[in-house]
Amino acid sequence: MRRGTEGAQGPGDGGGNLMLSAWRNLTAQQRRDAKTGYLALSPWMVGFVVFYAFPIIATIYFSFNEWTLAEPPTWVGLDNYVRMFTRDPLFVSSLKATTLFVIISLPTKLVLGLMLALLLNLKIPGMNAFRTIFFIPAVISGVAVSLMWIWFLNPDTGVVNTLLSYFGIRGPLWFWDLHWALPSVAIMSIWKVGGAAIIYLAGLQNIPAHLYEAAEIDGASKWSRFWRITLPLLTPTLFFQLIIELIDAFKIFTEAYVITHGGPLKATYFFLYYFYEEAFRNANMGYASALALFLLVVIMGCTVFVVRTSKGWVYYEN
Amino acid sequence: MNNAFFKKALTLASLFVLLLCSMGGVAAQDTVTLTWWTTSGRDSPEPAIRNVIAAFEAEHPNIKVDVSIMAEGAYNDLMSTAIAAGEGVPDLAWYWSNNWLPQALDITDRLDNDPDISRDIFHTEYFNNWVVWNDMVIALPYDIGANFVMYNKDVFDDEGVPYPTADWTPEDYIEIAKALRNEDKRRWGGDRPRGPFRALWRNMGATNPYSDDSTTVEGYINGPESVAAYTWLWDLVDSGATPTPADLEVLGTEGTGPVDLFIAGRLGMATLNPGSMVSTLEAGVNFGVVPEPRVPGNENWVHGWALRAGIWKNSEHPDEAWEFLKFWNGPPGQRILMEQGLGHFPPIPSLLAEYEDADTDWFQGFLNVLDATQTASWRKDHPCWRGAVIRGVRDAWDLIMLGEIERDEVQATLDAMVEPGQAALDECVPRLGG
Repeated sequence: MRRGTEGAQGPGDGGGNLMLSAWRNLTAQQRRDAKTGYLALSPWMVGFVVFYAFPIIATIYFSFNEWTLAEPPTWVGLDNYVRMFTRDPLFVSSLKATTLFVIISLPTKLVLGLMLALLLNLKIPGMNAFRTIFFIPAVISGVAVSLMWIWFLNPDTGVVNTLLSYFGIRGPLWFWDLHWALPSVAIMSIWKVGGAAIIYLAGLQNIPAHLYEAAEIDGASKWSRFWRITLPLLTPTLFFQLIIELIDAFKIFTEAYVITHGGPLKATYFFLYYFYEEAFRNANMGYASALALFLLVVIMGCTVFVVRTSKGWVYYEN
Repeated sequence: MNNAFFKKALTLASLFVLLLCSMGGVAAQDTVTLTWWTTSGRDSPEPAIRNVIAAFEAEHPNIKVDVSIMAEGAYNDLMSTAIAAGEGVPDLAWYWSNNWLPQALDITDRLDNDPDISRDIFHTEYFNNWVVWNDMVIALPYDIGANFVMYNKDVFDDEGVPYPTADWTPEDYIEIAKALRNEDKRRWGGDRPRGPFRALWRNMGATNPYSDDSTTVEGYINGPESVAAYTWLWDLVDSGATPTPADLEVLGTEGTGPVDLFIAGRLGMATLNPGSMVSTLEAGVNFGVVPEPRVPGNENWVHGWALRAGIWKNSEHPDEAWEFLKFWNGPPGQRILMEQGLGHFPPIPSLLAEYEDADTDWFQGFLNVLDATQTASWRKDHPCWRGAVIRGVRDAWDLIMLGEIERDEVQATLDAMVEPGQAALDECVPRLGG
């Protein structure tokens, strides 16, 4: 047994003693390395505490308060949560719109992103140009994209309806149609699939070529190679994409803010837009904090669920 | 000797240092630096702001103004954050959010006892509605604005339609819009209102979305006057003489109404504001100004506003800040801005009379609009009307705008809004009051 560990493992010893004794057990070189490591980590840790941990803790506190910014917060206990779950129709509307958006956009984006990545993985001339073109939408500002789509989907003069009219199809009112508003926002979101495709592409290029060669020698069809090699080996990337896209979908806001203002008839009244209205238009910071926490819990719950189920479908080669 | 010389030199040096220190102390005591956050725009361009400050500092050599000019979004974020933190608020700032008003200094006594300025110089309606809060004067008004209908005289002449007059009715509006509509020229007659229970609704008798005592929406949201106003909207939408919400989103100008469509001659009439008048003038369009239409017998209402500059209640230099505030918002500062800004309209009638276009028809029409009763007279004491109640009943508006209901369904649609409207009111009143 090494020096100092005996006492640390004894009954009643705190974590502090354990850490202290672990520190004492390090050699001088190890201590220097550890200090360097903590020093290197410190900017991130400071950032995390100041910009994430503290605001989250403050949000938890404010969610139990009524706060209009100009006056000090007033403790109201669970009132904000009671209102949210029992007598707030807008909470229900916003949750419904957001869930519907997640259900439409998430699987579509995952599947289309994969299909696009498979195409971008082909070895044809000019592929780098194609990759760049498909990636561009992912890096354009959300507001600029929104303004562009307002023009694209204008019912009378927009590109889409004009093209449809050539085939004798009268296009819908898109963002200004009760039934088409949410799908229109989903289409906009899906248009940015190039970002996901690039991640898939990186995953695809990590799959060892010899596996395909062996399968080809064994006479496996392209379809069989996709199902038995590509897809299983791509599941870690798929898992990553699923979590990122899931969080992203729940955070839909810009399109509602810039284009639809939550309408028509609350079809695009997304959760974050509701949060924004409560916080910054209705001066209701306490309730907005409760809404923000609820969204955090929902996203966290979905993420935990995905992570838990991942053991059954994500394949790690090692 | 050396020692004596050294002592004398040390004494002289000490005296010199003390003298310097005391002189510095006098200078530091006498010069006060005020912090001032503002935004700039066409009506208050940065050079004009700096000219006002220079003129003030020339008159008050012991007061310096440290101005920070920023974009409106950044200004809102910074002010909200500083006010929430309770520190870092500048000595002088715009208090345009009602939510910030508790942090503004009560300047009632200063205003009433200062021989250099009086509340009487300001436009009464704008003063009472925009800078008086809880019976206190918490700011001074600056740059007034209002919504009114601008009509393109060339379009009217083109279609042979007489110009509207100040006594026109909502039905006249629809008829004129239909007469101006011209599909060949891709022209609409007039635009659509931007929301219920604004001046136009009041001009039709639908004064408020809920009772004065803020207890009920029943009989207000779905009262006969409200039903009549929403039905008028239904008729307007049905006329086809106005752009759809999609057209307005694409072709309108964010936040300021469809001024571009108006200037381009694609809208015969549009409900716009003073900034639009300036843009239209610059574009060389021949236009007139009339109040929003009104059902005969009803009071004439206007949706008007004034910016308000105030002093932070915890300012360490309230006296000096007051000196600057009365200069900036009083005749000296506002005259400079009116002459050097583009479309700065001071809330001081005697100054407005000096405006370079004061004798034109459109300017007289604008002055006429300013004299109407302001919707703010009710709204300032009823903060729940917009953020909460109107949002709660927005579905009725959307249904009509989208053409989703028939004319005879307006009453039932508004009846269905009573429950969400009441819920929104009940939630909001305990929090914001009124």
